[in-house]
Amino acid sequence: MDPFLLKKITRDTKSQLEEFALYLSENKNERRSYVSVVKTINVFRDLICTAEWVTGRELIKIVKCYCKYLPLSQSNETDVSNVVRRILKIIREESVGPEATNSADGISAFFKTDIKPCNLGRSDLQDNILNSIVELLAELDTSKSNIVNMALEHIHSNERILTYGHSNTIRDFLLYGRKARDFEVIVCESGPSLKGHKMAAELSEGGIKTTVIADSAAFAIIHAVNKVIIGTHTIMADGALRATNGVHQVAMAAKFFSVPVIVCAPLYKLSPTHLCSYDPDAFNKVIGPEKMLNFSNANLHSKVLISNPDFDYVPSDLIELFITNTGGHAPSYLYRIISELYHPEDYDLDNMCVEDVEDEMAT
Amino acid sequence: MPPITTRPLFCRYLAQCRMMAVSMENFIKHTKVQVAKISPDLTESVAKEELQQSCDNFFRENIYLAGKSITEKAVERVVDGDTILIYKKSQLILHILLEAKARNKNFRVMVVDSRPDLSGVQSCERLTAAGIPCSYVYINSCTYVMKKVTKVMLAADALLANGYVLGPVGTALIGLISSTYNKPVIVCCETYKFSERVQTDSILYNELADPDSMLKTLNEEDTPVSNWRDCPNTRLVNLVYDTTPPALVSIVITEIAELPCTSAPVVLRRGAVKM
Repeated sequence: MDPFLLKKITRDTKSQLEEFALYLSENKNERRSYVSVVKTINVFRDLICTAEWVTGRELIKIVKCYCKYLPLSQSNETDVSNVVRRILKIIREESVGPEATNSADGISAFFKTDIKPCNLGRSDLQDNILNSIVELLAELDTSKSNIVNMALEHIHSNERILTYGHSNTIRDFLLYGRKARDFEVIVCESGPSLKGHKMAAELSEGGIKTTVIADSAAFAIIHAVNKVIIGTHTIMADGALRATNGVHQVAMAAKFFSVPVIVCAPLYKLSPTHLCSYDPDAFNKVIGPEKMLNFSNANLHSKVLISNPDFDYVPSDLIELFITNTGGHAPSYLYRIISELYHPEDYDLDNMCVEDVEDEMAT
Repeated sequence: MPPITTRPLFCRYLAQCRMMAVSMENFIKHTKVQVAKISPDLTESVAKEELQQSCDNFFRENIYLAGKSITEKAVERVVDGDTILIYKKSQLILHILLEAKARNKNFRVMVVDSRPDLSGVQSCERLTAAGIPCSYVYINSCTYVMKKVTKVMLAADALLANGYVLGPVGTALIGLISSTYNKPVIVCCETYKFSERVQTDSILYNELADPDSMLKTLNEEDTPVSNWRDCPNTRLVNLVYDTTPPALVSIVITEIAELPCTSAPVVLRRGAVKM
């Protein structure tokens, strides 16, 4: 860990931070997004309470130092990075002070690199920050129910809806819709993990007529489907998705037949990062091929290059609508939401502001 | 095809076992014409011999020699440095690739496979046995690999009169992805597979295979829908075919010519004139 960071935190906090970093590096594929987000907030809340800082700028430096220690550059960790950015934005807002946020100057104050400290001492500032973090937790708590409650606006009777693989948000969305409407769901099984089977079992237990099809049949049946409703792992800054492997071609088939594609995701999945390279290996993560080809075909394993990518990039022009906890948005509007949620300085979490770099060089 | 009850017994039996493929229907039509052509003066044994001869001729001309002719034409299209994408297992496509390798062309193959039958594994085995470097993905990852591919070669189960290609389910998805990434899609189809039927979607005329085969996993475990027959709300649908629109196909290679998809009725008319 950074020596600067070590100077500012207690030993208990240090072990807690190390534990959290370990938690992030393990169980990557099984982690539930919401659980890790809540854990992140709790860890950072403790860090804010126990670390040594006086001004908002110092606190931001501590938080960013800790982020360098976490494995946040992995593609799985976007939900954690987004929550850290929200916390940093809260710290910045509280440091600038409430008068500044309301006046016209306040807006330009957000975009300046130096944060004019207001006259609050550490304890007042800390209280304000912690109160805002409690509000953030409440927002996250209600994010799923806000999305699910919009189901009746988007599903009508006797519709056929296509979904892909497994998503807790989509499952709850559809089950909520079932309370008032009668409709059918077609689930693509999403090989090789076959998460679609789990989704189909859960939906049919909830009383929805479900059909399971192979992923290859998506083009064949999509013209007979009214809409495609999918979840995602991450929403990129331009409205593109990093979703489960196989979603891109379903979205392409939907576009071919002009079937609308609706994505339901809470805003902590919205990441201010763009696709930086069309090279699929730069964007994607490959997992083990044992689910694709048995090890009994060992002779093939050694001679054939088997790829099992985990994610898929879906460009924003294939998506019709995003349903988030703040309502429905077109992909073209997401830039506005990003500017409200995150500060431009925090888009790249490794980025230190100019004054901090100067400080570091002086010491 | 006339309704099932008026068909001769053997056709009825075949149709009851499994829905007949387009190529089978074409062969039965051809045989019926040959039967009608036999002059009534011939004895039974001579007539039978003639019919057997015509069946053998059909096989030789339309299947064996047609396959060789298509291979000749298609092998010209394989150049050094190519990465060719193929879908599942097709005798004709494998034959083309093995022939290209025999002519010392330097290329790689990307085998795209899909559940539930996973026949692409057999393609991999045959290609690696011949020394052709292979990669293997499931159809979900087709967009992931499409950048590196230079050509796509697909086999057809039938070519419909309105230019749609009937192939194993998933062919249409591959055609769509390939045309989005601007990769040429080459469909290889013998003329005995051309059909007078017209279809614009994949559902009206399709075959449903055994739904329980969708439950097969590689390590023999149960999936959450393994007890689907007990749940009134769950259904498994295992489609066999799908139709690819002609806009997504670049060229169809047949034994008589290399055509666009839309020339299918021309070939059908030529075949009708010949008969």
